[in-house]
Amino acid sequence: MRRLFALLLAALLAVPAVALAAPTVEEMQKKIDELNEELAELSDRVDKTERHTATDRISWYGDLRVKADTLHYKDVTASQGVYFDFADFGQRAMAGEFSVPAATDPGDGSTTPLSKFMAAFPEQAAAFMAGALPPQGYFVVAPAEKSTINNDVLYTTRLRLGMKAKVSDNVNFSGRLSMYKNWGDSTGVKVFDSWNSFTMDGTNGGNTSGDWLRVERAYFDWKDIGGSDFYLSIGRRPSTYGPPSQYRENELRGGTPSGHLVHFNFDGITVGYHLSKLTGIEGQTVRFCYGQGFESEWGNGELFNEINTEDVHLGGFNIDALNDGTNFLQFTLFRAENVTDGFKGLIAFPSQFAQQMAPTMWNDLQNFPNFNFVTRVQPSTNIGDIMLGGIGFTREEMNGVNWFTSLAWTQTDPNGKAGLFGGLLSDPTYRAALVDDPSNPGEQMIVPAFTTTPSSDKKRDGYSVYAGIQIPAPLGKLGLEYNYGSKYWIPFTQAQDDLIGSKLATRGHVGEAYYIFDVNPNMFIKLGGIYYDYEYTGSGSPVGAPVKIADVQDGKASSMLPAVDTAWDGYASLTVKF
Amino acid sequence: MKQIAKAVAILAIAALCASAAWAAEGGNPKKGKYLYKKTCKSCHVEGAEGGNLTPMTKTMSQWDRFFEKAQHPKAEAWKDLKEQDIKDINQFLYDHALDSSQPETCG
Repeated sequence: MRRLFALLLAALLAVPAVALAAPTVEEMQKKIDELNEELAELSDRVDKTERHTATDRISWYGDLRVKADTLHYKDVTASQGVYFDFADFGQRAMAGEFSVPAATDPGDGSTTPLSKFMAAFPEQAAAFMAGALPPQGYFVVAPAEKSTINNDVLYTTRLRLGMKAKVSDNVNFSGRLSMYKNWGDSTGVKVFDSWNSFTMDGTNGGNTSGDWLRVERAYFDWKDIGGSDFYLSIGRRPSTYGPPSQYRENELRGGTPSGHLVHFNFDGITVGYHLSKLTGIEGQTVRFCYGQGFESEWGNGELFNEINTEDVHLGGFNIDALNDGTNFLQFTLFRAENVTDGFKGLIAFPSQFAQQMAPTMWNDLQNFPNFNFVTRVQPSTNIGDIMLGGIGFTREEMNGVNWFTSLAWTQTDPNGKAGLFGGLLSDPTYRAALVDDPSNPGEQMIVPAFTTTPSSDKKRDGYSVYAGIQIPAPLGKLGLEYNYGSKYWIPFTQAQDDLIGSKLATRGHVGEAYYIFDVNPNMFIKLGGIYYDYEYTGSGSPVGAPVKIADVQDGKASSMLPAVDTAWDGYASLTVKF
Repeated sequence: MKQIAKAVAILAIAALCASAAWAAEGGNPKKGKYLYKKTCKSCHVEGAEGGNLTPMTKTMSQWDRFFEKAQHPKAEAWKDLKEQDIKDINQFLYDHALDSSQPETCG
């Protein structure tokens, strides 16, 4: 600015006096004084701006999304039961363990645990006697019940506040605070009915939890370390909204790892190397990432180390093989060691479970059907390791068409252990046990008792495909997406904020269509729908055996949580970026 | 359901009515990137005549101000470019400017 005025002044003085209609020296002096005054004022203003910029150390930006969803679940099946060791039961029955009558027996053996058991479950007993039951299999205690659930409208608000700060020339800080809530609820905890309802570290950014801001991301990037092409980044990672899931979000790449495999908040470390300067291939970067998913001692209920669990560690490679603004090719390979049978988190206990799992409380809970006790959950057992791998390719064509395809694989390697909710993709096995019969004092009865033996300890491979296209359309763009996950598909995408559940974690088929109206570059309206066709139970859960939805409906298998057959979510949202 | 239909209709109308008065519109950023590399990068690299220049050198509005003049300080620099080409370059630089949205990744 000063330079500009100096030039202006010089030019003014250099102009021959005649050309300016012969101003007098006094007039010239007056003009110079005026200019000087203005210059002083401008300089003062610039100083203020400079001071503000220097002291305002964080630059903020963000977005606000308001959304209305209409949710429809079809054939939601309840089928209570356990995975039972029938062979063990048969052997022990043959040995007479369950045939001891009570002292009060009238002489017909009606008080033996076995006869009471057979009277309580006549169909299962007949099938068992006929040899129609496998050595181990599902013991469904009651006929399956189907229902349809409709939630005509569910409103949510998501606020994300991004932060950036420059620490030094090659060190930056980035962070994001996020709030995601459904309207009229800030309890921070939901009744446990699915993975989505768990308020926990890795997924609470993607599940409605209340009106408070959570630190979704906070990390630093230390680039060009020692003049090399290495960078180091530590903190709460940018591990959500990764490619290719940014297209449906109508934003730029929202995270580092493949969004098809990882959409989960991790605390960890990344060491990256920008290969592009060596190879000349634009945007080529190799990264090694490490993170911790569970701390086994600190803050847990192990006053004397009674619960013997190991920490959960994750590590792997994330390679952008090509990232030139048009083509993007990414390879991902991760391993999670010593995965636990759940996470630390908060749930409200479903009263429906109390009868089976907390019978003492059940009596009291009858008086308060609308009360759920809130409890902190922590895992009890390490159940094995998970490998995840994937290849993703996206292309942004010159004509505005964007398309992508991604192939991913997961492999579970159980260690032969199971917690209360199961082992790695397996259920806990229950054995027959004798307990005192509360209804008939002096008598005993058979109940299924939990064991730490999983229903299976086999390695399981799961795979998934994800493809989509976004094409320019009047006033915006039209998008179509499809994904499929197989029986044993288990990615870390549970923090995807789809209300029915992470669509990419689905064991089955999912289709989505949407239309985005770009109101202006900082504002858009999105209308769309997602259709889920589940083939197996337990989408997104590493714990519990996936079983065919059809088998749950037919009473051949049980499912602890409601098994959804198909569901659709129609939505309209308005997003503003600022 | 009726409520939703109503809300959707309102949103759709709002989108249709939205004015398109926004800076740096109508350019193809993909073409702009190609043209920028081909035309601008010969002078605008470290040590060259124009000095190093990237989209992050200026803010979105600074880029728009620069292109509003439709004139490059070095007169012959844009002589082979058509009006639409300049628009495309403007769009690319605007889209990737210092204060534009950036990919949210580490490193």
